[in-house]
Amino acid sequence: MQHIVIVGILVIVMAVLTYFGLDSIGLMPVEASAQAVSIDWLWNWQVIAMSFLFALIVVPLVYSLVVFRRKKGETGDGEHIEGNTSLEIAWTVLPLFAVLAFAYMGAYSLGETNRVDPDAIEIRVKAQQFAWTFEYPEYGIVSTELHLPLNQQVVLKMESADVIHSFWVPEFRVKQDVVPGRVTEYRITPTLVGDYKVRCAELCGTSHAYMEAGVIVDTKGDYAAWIAEQAAIAAASQTPEGQGQILSVKYGCLGCHSIDGSKLTGPTWFGLYGSNVELDNGTSVVADDAFIKESILDPNASVVAGFPSPSVMPPYTLTDEEIANFIAYLKTLK
Amino acid sequence: MSHLLDKSSAFRQGVVIFVYLAVLTALEYFVAVTFKAISILVVVAILKAALVMYYYMHIYKLNEEGGSDAHSYAYKTGTNRLGLWLFLLSDSFVFAGLMTARINLLGLTRPHLNQTLGLAVTAVLLISSFFMNRGETAMAHGDKKGFMTNTLVTFLLGLGFLLGVVAVEWPLAAEEGLTASSNAVGAVFYMMTGMHAFHVFTGLIFLIVVWNNARKNIYSSEQNWGVEAAAVYWHFVDLVWIFFYPALYLIGTAL
Amino acid sequence: MKKISPVVRGWLSFAIGFIVAYILGIGLVYLVNGSLAYSHLVSWIFATFAGAAAYSWGASGFSPLTKGLAWMNLGALVGFALGLVIDLIVQGSLNWVAPTASLFALLFGFTAFFLGVAGFNAVSKGLIWQISGTLLGAIFISIIRVVMGLEWSGPFLFTEPAWVLGGFLGVIFFLSGNGSVSDWFKWAKGIDTPEHHEESHAGWEKYLNISLDHKVIGIQYTVTALFLISVGGLFALVFRTELAASQLQFLTTDMKLFGQNGPQLYNTFMSLHGMIMIVSILLGMAGITNFVVPLLLGAQDMAFPRLNAFAFWISVPASVLLLMSLILGGFDTGWTGYPPLSVRAPMGIQMFFLGVFTAGWSSILGALNVIVTVMRMRSKGMTAFRMPIFVWAAIATSIIALTATQFIGLSFQLVMFQRLLGMGFFDPAKGGNPVLFQHLFWFYSHPAVYVFILPGLGVISELLPVFARKPLFGYRWIAMSSLAIALVGFLVWAHHMFTSGMNEYLRVPFMYSTLLVAIPTGVKFFSWVATLWKGKIWAPTPMLFVLGGIVVFLLGGLTGPPNATVSIDLHLHDTYFIVGHFHDTIFGGFVFPFFAALYYWFPKATGRRMNETLGKIHFWLMTPSFFILTFGMMRIGLLGMRRRIVDYDPALNFDATHLLLTVMGYLIAISVLVFIYNFFNSIKNGEKAEGNVWNSRSPEWQVPSPMPTHNYDQPFEVVGEPYDYGLPGSKYVEFSAPAKSRH
Ligand code: HEA
Ligand code: HEA
Ligand code: HEC
Ligand code: CUA
Ligand SMILES: [Cu+2]
Repeated sequence: MQHIVIVGILVIVMAVLTYFGLDSIGLMPVEASAQAVSIDWLWNWQVIAMSFLFALIVVPLVYSLVVFRRKKGETGDGEHIEGNTSLEIAWTVLPLFAVLAFAYMGAYSLGETNRVDPDAIEIRVKAQQFAWTFEYPEYGIVSTELHLPLNQQVVLKMESADVIHSFWVPEFRVKQDVVPGRVTEYRITPTLVGDYKVRCAELCGTSHAYMEAGVIVDTKGDYAAWIAEQAAIAAASQTPEGQGQILSVKYGCLGCHSIDGSKLTGPTWFGLYGSNVELDNGTSVVADDAFIKESILDPNASVVAGFPSPSVMPPYTLTDEEIANFIAYLKTLK
Repeated sequence: MSHLLDKSSAFRQGVVIFVYLAVLTALEYFVAVTFKAISILVVVAILKAALVMYYYMHIYKLNEEGGSDAHSYAYKTGTNRLGLWLFLLSDSFVFAGLMTARINLLGLTRPHLNQTLGLAVTAVLLISSFFMNRGETAMAHGDKKGFMTNTLVTFLLGLGFLLGVVAVEWPLAAEEGLTASSNAVGAVFYMMTGMHAFHVFTGLIFLIVVWNNARKNIYSSEQNWGVEAAAVYWHFVDLVWIFFYPALYLIGTAL
Repeated sequence: MKKISPVVRGWLSFAIGFIVAYILGIGLVYLVNGSLAYSHLVSWIFATFAGAAAYSWGASGFSPLTKGLAWMNLGALVGFALGLVIDLIVQGSLNWVAPTASLFALLFGFTAFFLGVAGFNAVSKGLIWQISGTLLGAIFISIIRVVMGLEWSGPFLFTEPAWVLGGFLGVIFFLSGNGSVSDWFKWAKGIDTPEHHEESHAGWEKYLNISLDHKVIGIQYTVTALFLISVGGLFALVFRTELAASQLQFLTTDMKLFGQNGPQLYNTFMSLHGMIMIVSILLGMAGITNFVVPLLLGAQDMAFPRLNAFAFWISVPASVLLLMSLILGGFDTGWTGYPPLSVRAPMGIQMFFLGVFTAGWSSILGALNVIVTVMRMRSKGMTAFRMPIFVWAAIATSIIALTATQFIGLSFQLVMFQRLLGMGFFDPAKGGNPVLFQHLFWFYSHPAVYVFILPGLGVISELLPVFARKPLFGYRWIAMSSLAIALVGFLVWAHHMFTSGMNEYLRVPFMYSTLLVAIPTGVKFFSWVATLWKGKIWAPTPMLFVLGGIVVFLLGGLTGPPNATVSIDLHLHDTYFIVGHFHDTIFGGFVFPFFAALYYWFPKATGRRMNETLGKIHFWLMTPSFFILTFGMMRIGLLGMRRRIVDYDPALNFDATHLLLTVMGYLIAISVLVFIYNFFNSIKNGEKAEGNVWNSRSPEWQVPSPMPTHNYDQPFEVVGEPYDYGLPGSKYVEFSAPAKSRH
């Protein structure tokens, strides 16, 4: 009996110490969305449960090791106790209740994270190896950065052009895969102004690690200003080169091609037009309209030297007009 | 091996079960072309499977211990039988997986296939099971000749089924535009029939082996585990088709 | 010279061998290539293997091992040269890192090793046949392609269909060439074979040959598993080194090896680490089960000795296929191989799929054998609830392995066919469904995680009473909990798919079912603690690993329910928190108990015991490092560290933690090296221990070690409960005549 009392006290002490220890380190990143609140609330309960159960097993285990250790020279056996049915039932039924409680809380918390606001703003997200593109259909804006208004639910309608990706902003907690062939939804209500990052959380190929994009939570005012500015740009860019630029964002070209001369997954577009391009079969061509058209429609036809063959660039089926716009845009990159 | 039945009633039992199975298959076909009740199709398939498992595959023999002498042939046969059934259990998970894929990808539609041919190959496989049963029963009663003849018929019917699927049905389907790479429907169709055909193929080899061994007088009415194994395996292949046939030919609307 | 210790001599030779080979390597590369590109890489590999041979020579003269290692070097060189020449002919240019050359070096080196050690034996013969079969199949398809007017060669010499058929044929050739199926062929021809064969070889050579003795097969499995753990661990060390700091260290985008650039290579290493480790678990636990179960039951052997041997031997070509995938282009999908990524992945994925498929058969057939053995081969009086508890664990494991394994085989086959024939199972453009794959895959791979741990938990339950000197608390509850875990385990697979976009309404039911697994697992934990309570505990090395296993597995288990709670998993999914979770469960449920079992049954197998001091060093080095490793993983995981990334954002401030994790990974590796040394050294030099070393009640310890081919000289009858420690006069088994000592 005395042993049990001591162990009981030790269990509680250890559980409390573990919990507060963990709590004081701070386990989660900042909480930046309404959905995070119920998740963090449940997580906290989980930490309490984990601390307690850990202590509940480890304390008596270590205690037995110390107290019931075979002394030097001892040879006898321990007490002959075969088991105890009521104890077994107790530690089957009590955890059962605990588990049911947690499952119930889990369902509740899931309901909270899924709560639908009918006024949610819709944003379209396109994921592809290895870039994110965001489209604001109401304003005709296409952007590589996601801007979100504070305290306003948005619903992201996400599509993938190639393989499975996963949309995750750690500060928002929630994560959702983007699956080719279907549209998945992601609802979030940002609650903290700041710069975050969406990080692709599903292995999607060689550059999966770098499939990140900025997520900026603005106050309502700043957000409106950004929208206005972007919409103006979109409106002003009725020229072919402006359209080309928008397309290059929309199709995610800029995920692989830089416009400043640096080398990403693909060759830079800076100074490309009209330059002499070396191909991996040893020949070289002048980057004229025909070559660029071919490179877009059938990247494999001629692969630039220094890049893997077959080309990692997916073939795009674009209209002649779109290609003309691209070319107009490329011409401006000098 | 214990003989629950004398030779002629064992044969008679085989005939009766065959008639049941044939009638149920006809019923299936009838349901599929008239009022399309999937629940009936499922029930009928389960009923057929139960008949085959009990009367053709003798699942109840799993209960036979085979005596207490661990080195006796009977005891070892009991052990082997358990092993074979576990293998079939494992194998059936492959087919269950394919069925899952079929349900997930095709739902309440099915590939557009030649119904007559489907019914024909199904009938051929069913009849082959009947002859397999006769062959096995013959051997269990020490009738080597009866075994050899019936097994040969089983083999030929099995070959007919295999060719019917692979050499007739496949090209027919391909002609209609259903190829392995055309779409998910084609993929499912060729994978399911292909996997089943592969099992039929191994079953045929198994039949040749036991037939040849019987020729060499290796089996007797007491010691014929090889024959029993081949028969059970053959019926298992039939069992799979009991589910695959409605899944591919009968359930849902044709695309 | 005589006075210098062999170890010192060994290291001296190692140093010399290494340096000479290194310089030679650089010179050779320069001579042929005219530049020093890749020379360090080539020389490093060259020198390490040469050094190993030199070490062995210095330490033990011309022992079989020395010969093996020397032959391995030669074989690898010859293979490499041959590969270079072939590549030169086909591609028209000399390429030092050509995959063909590396592949030939790997295969030839392996084969030559076993040839050198003991001439023609089942391994070397099998490997020679596998290589021939692979080439034959590949050439066959290539010829067909030429006839059809298609391209026959590619960056990996042959095209993908050619390698796939080749790989498949290689396995078949291995098995028919090394004799593991010859009895079956005889049966098919109507020729009877004796029920047991006399052992064809004596001494250690029998482990390289086909044996039908379950004890030999158990050891064959175990050693293969240790080899795979080392390879998988080595891969972990490679990619952990890359992760030690943010930015790309040596796996840069500019490097190129086996047709892959750095980040791709990272993915290949990471994925292969996962799968090779998993295969090693399956083989390791099959090893323990094979060795122990017939002994515990009082059976002469497993129910189907030939099937048993077959199940082991098929795992050898499977492992070779897995390693081939690294060289034939690798694959960047993780061990889960989700399409559509795996449909687009490089060709290595096909070898990976084939390898897993083949290894799966090993698992299925082994499980079948275990179930039949337990049902049919128990000794007299051994009723269900008098079986040693490990047997219950083995049964529960086998139920899963027997059935569910087919699903991973099938899911991988479907992707293989999609790649080869364009079948659109998972291609949305053709009406396929990528999420279907995940269901098929996890229907196996979740229950599989219980395959990893149930035998391990069985080992814990089996050993605890021996070292606590007390009956196992609640025997029946523990026995039933294994079954419960196995059966409930079938109903929870979709908890890996909470974020996958599957049907929303499936998530909550799967949360409930998953959480239910905590209950039978909890029963085990509570019962273990109650077993220890008021015992007379002593803690030699096996017991240390048992205790370590309990605590580590507890940590892993307790981090399971947060994952299972859907809303929290939305945050945790695909982060290092999950990585921490499963390293804890796997180490606690497999690695620790595996080591415990090895230390515990080692005397039974060899008649000697392993060194206690080294065992304790192993434990005390591994355990704290491991705790730090997984705590660190979980911490950064919560803060935003994704899985399966070669590089992380420096802004996240994870550099220090990652460095720590890498160091811990190395410490674990060192502790494993200590173990490996202890293991092989004790076989020869260990303290003699032929009696009941641990003072256990279990039948196998009532007779002298090691045991003869057909186990017990006298059959025994079960007359009492297995774990009645502390009950004076009680007995578990009684031999029909007093078991006589063979010495
Ligand atoms: C050995 C292997 C092993 C074991 C035993 C477990 C055990 C468990 N696992 Fe784990 N798991 C893996 C290996 C394992 N897992 C692997 C490899 C992955 C990643 C796969 C991949 O994606 O690559 C994974 C991933 C994984 C996920 C998916 C995470 C994600 O990717 O998003 C989930 C989600 O539910 C999960 C849950 C659980 C649960 C609930 C248990 C339970 O069985 C744990 C039960 C045990 C306890 C709970 C502790 C003891 C109990 C008590 C003391 C009683 C009282 C307890 C309570 C009342 C809670 N695991
Ligand atoms: C048995 C299972 C097992 C074991 C033992 C380990 C052991 C280790 N694992 Fe493993 N790990 C997995 C199973 C396992 N892992 C799985 C399934 C994955 C998921 C893969 C995926 O996402 O697809 C994973 C993923 C994984 C990751 C995540 C990678 C990523 O997501 O990018 C990391 C990162 O640190 C890691 C680290 C380690 C380390 C440091 C060890 C250390 O313990 C290793 C210690 C070293 C050894 C045990 C070897 C010692 C021996 C030698 C050095 C001798 C060599 C000599 C010769 C060859 C003769 N593992
Ligand atoms: C996944 C990465 C990726 C994406 C996305 C991508 N590209 Fe490329 N691109 C490459 C690579 C790699 C090459 C070089 C190899 C080759 O020539 O195919 C390349 C080459 C090119 C070239 C050839 C000329 C040169 O030297 O740059 C053009 C033009 C081009 N891309 C245009 C586009 C356009 C337009 C888009 C979007 C509609 C796009 N790319 C999207 C990776 C990508
Ligand atoms: Cu996209 Cu990872
Ligand atoms: Cu799981």
